[in-house]
Amino acid sequence: METPREDRLAADLQALRPTPRPEFAAELDQRAAAGFPRRTHWRWTPFERLRAIRPHKLLIPAGGFAVLAIAIATAVTMSSENNDSANLAVLQPGEEIQKSNQATPSTDQGRSGSASAEYSNVVPMASSAAGSSAAGVEYEESTRAAHGPATLAAEPNPDRRSVERSAELVLAAAPGDVGDDSAKVFEAVHAHDGIVMSSSTREGKPGEAAARFELLIPSAQLGGALAALSAIDEVRTRHEATDDITAPTVATGELLHDSQARIDSLLAQLEGAESESEREAVEAELAQERRHRAVLRGQLQHLERRADYSRVLVRIETGGAEAPSEGGTWGVGDALDDAGKILAVAAAVTVVALAILGPIALIALLAWLTQRAWVRRERRRVLS
Amino acid sequence: MEQALVAEATDAPRTADIAFERLYRSSRDDVYAYVASLLRDALAAEEVTAAAFERAYRKRNRFDPERGEPRAWLFGIARNAALDELRRRGRQAELTAEPADAETFGGHGDDHSERRLVVSEALERLEPGERELIALKFFAGLENREIARVLGIGESNAGTKLHRAMTKLREACDGNA
Repeated sequence: METPREDRLAADLQALRPTPRPEFAAELDQRAAAGFPRRTHWRWTPFERLRAIRPHKLLIPAGGFAVLAIAIATAVTMSSENNDSANLAVLQPGEEIQKSNQATPSTDQGRSGSASAEYSNVVPMASSAAGSSAAGVEYEESTRAAHGPATLAAEPNPDRRSVERSAELVLAAAPGDVGDDSAKVFEAVHAHDGIVMSSSTREGKPGEAAARFELLIPSAQLGGALAALSAIDEVRTRHEATDDITAPTVATGELLHDSQARIDSLLAQLEGAESESEREAVEAELAQERRHRAVLRGQLQHLERRADYSRVLVRIETGGAEAPSEGGTWGVGDALDDAGKILAVAAAVTVVALAILGPIALIALLAWLTQRAWVRRERRRVLS
Repeated sequence: MEQALVAEATDAPRTADIAFERLYRSSRDDVYAYVASLLRDALAAEEVTAAAFERAYRKRNRFDPERGEPRAWLFGIARNAALDELRRRGRQAELTAEPADAETFGGHGDDHSERRLVVSEALERLEPGERELIALKFFAGLENREIARVLGIGESNAGTKLHRAMTKLREACDGNA
């Protein structure tokens, strides 16, 4: 029960109550009737502006952003997967090439075999070290007279790049097509003046039936040969690599040139030898230098062969997820496989997206909570 | 009555608009009075009042009647907007709308205006929080439970604080007289 004195104080307080200007009240009424349209001059913070946007208006840009993010993540994932498979392909041919190099036909090393024979037929070798060392002074002189030192040295031109190329091609075939595909590989190789270094073909069930070819293709025809090989069946992977061997080629050529100059000098000494002992000493040194030259020449020829002929490994595989079914038709199994892959990719993308967005969302939540607590604290401080 | 209005507001957008319209009509001058008493600046009070209604309108569908009365909810928004404005200005809260003098309250020699000037000066000497309580009670016309909801304190606590503020105000008035 309030006393008259309290009533009077309350009445005085209510009389002190601020009242809005009629103009402002009218303007606010109009704004209320119009549904409070947004005013551009109101000093809202960006956070307030963001909060003021209705959720359904945020859905479209947020959805678009999410789709874009997933598309980018998918592209990145697919790209990285391709790179991984390419890297694997690089390693495998590298190993094969190393093995093949060991088996490279080289008369210098005295290797033999059918591949060597074929190679030698295509790439006529220069006279062997043994042969040249057995030749006498007269041979050297006649060679010089016929070709001159420049021809004999066969120096590579430093301005011309010497590039070794290699390639690996994996074809997917139905088990029944392995034989036909193998025959087509031979046809393609011969059509491009290539050499089959080795080949193996195995018939059998899907996954067992396979074929493998180690080829040498003239580098000038590598593009056409790969195109022909790729057209044989479905290409599962294809990888090409290059290696610049200009530096060792030029260096070996220079060493060969020096060796030839040394031999020329020794031959001049031999002609001028006056005693038997001096002649024998010069001949011994000459023989040693000739052996050295033969080694260098062999090395240079080997480098030149590497540049002139490209190594190509072709594998025909059957079975596996990507092998085409008999007749090349696309069946229910393929559809299920594709669906599984798509789901796996989608799951991976989702996991990646969550891994990225999770911490960001957590940071945003913490920032929001901190900002909210700070604002509340500041509001309390205003009145304290 | 207002509770029922806002309960309708959650049913459908159109009903919410009607309920908000009623809330606006019943609270416009009260919100302005409260905000003006906090800011002590008529122009800023107009700006903040408009912003408060705008924010409340945007949030009208998110109002939860179970968490309090609609007027308390509206005054909570107005209070935050006013305090944010004060923070931006870096000024201390002032509860009186204008520097009071005898002319403001009815001219020279009038007994009522003399007494109101004394009350106004007594208000100036109160703590900002106490002045806000009095503004919520007498300028905005809120019930104690609504004041408690606006300030985020218990209803009995709000009543006690209000009683203390009024006692101090009365003592200050007696000291001025």
